[in-house]
Amino acid sequence: MKLLTNVQKLLLLNCRNSMNRRLIKSTTKEAAHDQPAITSAQLDELERNVLMRHHRNNIPRIRQLVEDVQVDRGQGAEDTRQELAAELQQLPNATHPRLLTYDNKAMELAKFEHRLQPERAKEFSELARTLNLYRMEHLGNYTGHKSYYLMGQLAMLEQAIIQYALKSLTRNKFNLISVPDLLPRGIIESCGMRTEGERTQVYKLDIGECLSGTSEMALAGYFANRQLTERELPLKVAAVSRCYRAETSGLHEEKGIYRVHQFTKVEMFAIATADQSEPTLEELKNIEIDLFKQLGINFRLLDMPPCELGAPAYQKYDIEAWMPGRQMWGEISSCSNCTDYQAKRLNITYKRACDGAVVYVHTLNGTATAIPRLLIALIESYQSGDHIQIPEVLVPFMNEQRAITKNKKVPETKLVKFVKTGCIR
Amino acid sequence: MLKLRNIVGQCFVLKRHISALYITGDKANENYVTLQPFLDFTGTFRDKVTLQQSIDSRGLNINLESVLAKYATYQTHHEQLQRLEDEREKVTKELKLLTKSAGKSELLDKLRARGKELRNEVKSLKQTLYPIEDDFIHDYLHLPNVLHAHCPQTDEEKLIYRHKPPPTATPVAMHLDRKDLIHFLDNNRYYMMEQAAHFDVDAMQAMVRYFVTHGDFIQTCNPDFVRCVLLEANATPLSQYHLVREEHLLNKLNTAYLTGGGAFESFLGTVTKLSVYPSVLPLRYVACGRSYNREEGLANGPTPSLYTATQTNAVQSFVATQTADEADAELEQVLNMAINFYKALDVPFRIVYVPAASLTPSESLRASIEVYAPSLKRYVCVGRISNYGDYVSKRILFSTRREKHYEFLHLVGGPVLYTTRLIAALIELGIKLEANKLPGALHLGPSMQAMDQHQRDLQEFKDLFK
Repeated sequence: MKLLTNVQKLLLLNCRNSMNRRLIKSTTKEAAHDQPAITSAQLDELERNVLMRHHRNNIPRIRQLVEDVQVDRGQGAEDTRQELAAELQQLPNATHPRLLTYDNKAMELAKFEHRLQPERAKEFSELARTLNLYRMEHLGNYTGHKSYYLMGQLAMLEQAIIQYALKSLTRNKFNLISVPDLLPRGIIESCGMRTEGERTQVYKLDIGECLSGTSEMALAGYFANRQLTERELPLKVAAVSRCYRAETSGLHEEKGIYRVHQFTKVEMFAIATADQSEPTLEELKNIEIDLFKQLGINFRLLDMPPCELGAPAYQKYDIEAWMPGRQMWGEISSCSNCTDYQAKRLNITYKRACDGAVVYVHTLNGTATAIPRLLIALIESYQSGDHIQIPEVLVPFMNEQRAITKNKKVPETKLVKFVKTGCIR
Repeated sequence: MLKLRNIVGQCFVLKRHISALYITGDKANENYVTLQPFLDFTGTFRDKVTLQQSIDSRGLNINLESVLAKYATYQTHHEQLQRLEDEREKVTKELKLLTKSAGKSELLDKLRARGKELRNEVKSLKQTLYPIEDDFIHDYLHLPNVLHAHCPQTDEEKLIYRHKPPPTATPVAMHLDRKDLIHFLDNNRYYMMEQAAHFDVDAMQAMVRYFVTHGDFIQTCNPDFVRCVLLEANATPLSQYHLVREEHLLNKLNTAYLTGGGAFESFLGTVTKLSVYPSVLPLRYVACGRSYNREEGLANGPTPSLYTATQTNAVQSFVATQTADEADAELEQVLNMAINFYKALDVPFRIVYVPAASLTPSESLRASIEVYAPSLKRYVCVGRISNYGDYVSKRILFSTRREKHYEFLHLVGGPVLYTTRLIAALIELGIKLEANKLPGALHLGPSMQAMDQHQRDLQEFKDLFK
């Protein structure tokens, strides 16, 4: 079964005003024959896609609004049109047909196990605390819930990972961009992330701006309203940014720095033509595989099912690393092809060389390295008695150090409740 | 201008009726007390002349006489409360003794009645004391640190170092004209491309590496949010940072602010209430991260540019010492390292001690590292190092313990590099954005590329046996 194509969705999303006009015209039998009206069957297809992706089903509401627009041509019609436009904006992207047979389970495409796992492996927090390189306890009242400090070699390792990823991306012809972390709401929503509601993952500031959850949003925003040339495509950029996520978790397996509100990430972002987008996604995936292979951790590549795609992705690969201390696979990276979903919302186009037509680009994004979970995978995989080995490829970025050992200079966390006047010198 | 902003900032703080840093007993039910600052009244009021001088030089609108009068009332009430508490304790003891020895019931009744009386007196005195305490303590918390002997008490800054004179008047393009390197939208949003983007990361990492390898600093990665209680403890005007709207805020007083992990306040979380062994001192930390100070850059306005932008990558230093002399030496050491760093760029820069009026109340001295910005025709601050004495430590209970006594630590620190402003100045000065000439720059051996390949080959080989 083939679901509604992007071309049809473009009709729905980008031609909202003309669509509304068409809907009205069709009832008055004035519809232009060259512009197809939206049929109930198309809405059925959209609904199947929404349900398959476990997305909030707003199709009944859309149906209602479509009817209302047809009936009401008076004062209230404008409000109805606006609501309809907002609801259409919420729809998810179409789904790659390959994923329809997955029965909502991720498909394991490959497993990379080249490392013997340590026996009786310890979990990251325990290892890092023993080595005196990490603090997460008793901080809620001072630096916020789930905040953390990385100390000494662990903080160095973070910067080493960033530099290691940047070197790889530069070799792969990505252009580095410094990005803003404060973004207007519109850009975040255009990228397919909701900023309102109970379960929003987006932090808001007193000035109304939002904190970026990933530099993908800032990078997509950078290209908003730009018309590129076909010669420039595929265009590949990268960013190092701080990511802010309001999400939280009480799950035992997500304790420690597995799911935190703030972290650093090196991100890849690409803009391609429709023909280039699938090979570009493969390129992002291969770069990720290469990065983690060289780091020597065990990981697997998953092709994600429709229900795991979020709103903007047409298809998505996840990479999960084996975390021996937790005895679980944890997501450390992913890459998605968002086709023209974000481009339509942000008006990113290119001039096609063959006919000069201005068409929407496809956008893609992928994680090169996201620090906290990669630290978990590395530290748990490379534990060796009382120290942690440093992966060979990171040694040049760690001032040639080869092992992480206990830090004796960082004071241990000994806290006092209060100090009485008589107790000071 | 700066002075005016300080005063406005002060008023903003003064308007708050309840502080997150000090919560009186009557409000403790609704507001969780997260920290009990050490209030050193004796130490603060020991040298009133110096304190008055500090208030005057900073241009603060504080009437020390009035604070002292409030202190006297507070003390009188407190002493009275103490007397009542002592008597109550005495009565309780007597009651216990009498009950044990089955004393006369008449005396017992009398003591019980006195006990009740005392309880009520204490209760009512406490009720009277709360507003007095509130009024005095909040005034007390607004009192500034004393000034360091090196801090200029006039309006003029004091030059302590200069490298290269500013270039003579050759017409320069503004950094924003370099559209290939900078895409600036507003103070909250800008992008840097090409070598500017690489320098943004590489210069920050180089400086941290230089501090770690040559200055015996411990590298850290810090949180980006800091709660109100720590900002108040550090006497940071709350208007400097954006307030984060939190969905499920438990303590409404103690809201979070977006400082960035490269801000000084972000270090305070890990040392609040911390008691360390003297053996770890001096404790030297250095962090790289973001900094989102929305007021600091405005002095470089009014035209918005990279000089006025809120967000920047930063290198933040933080040193704790046992004595004031050691703190002075550490400040000098940090400055020397900063000088070596900026000298390597051969950029016209200077280091000045800023006048007292520009300090926050917690700073006793601030050295500002300033690079010449041709488009503004003046120097702009790309880093600063401050001496806080033990003012902040007392408020956050950061101490060391020797022979059963606590000693509050002296703090020195600040951002030694703001990459964004430096990049803007370098572009305008026509200096290449090359991080590899910086001390601490990463110099990968020629084998690095080959090693990658070797690693890859080895891996492929290993994979064959799976």
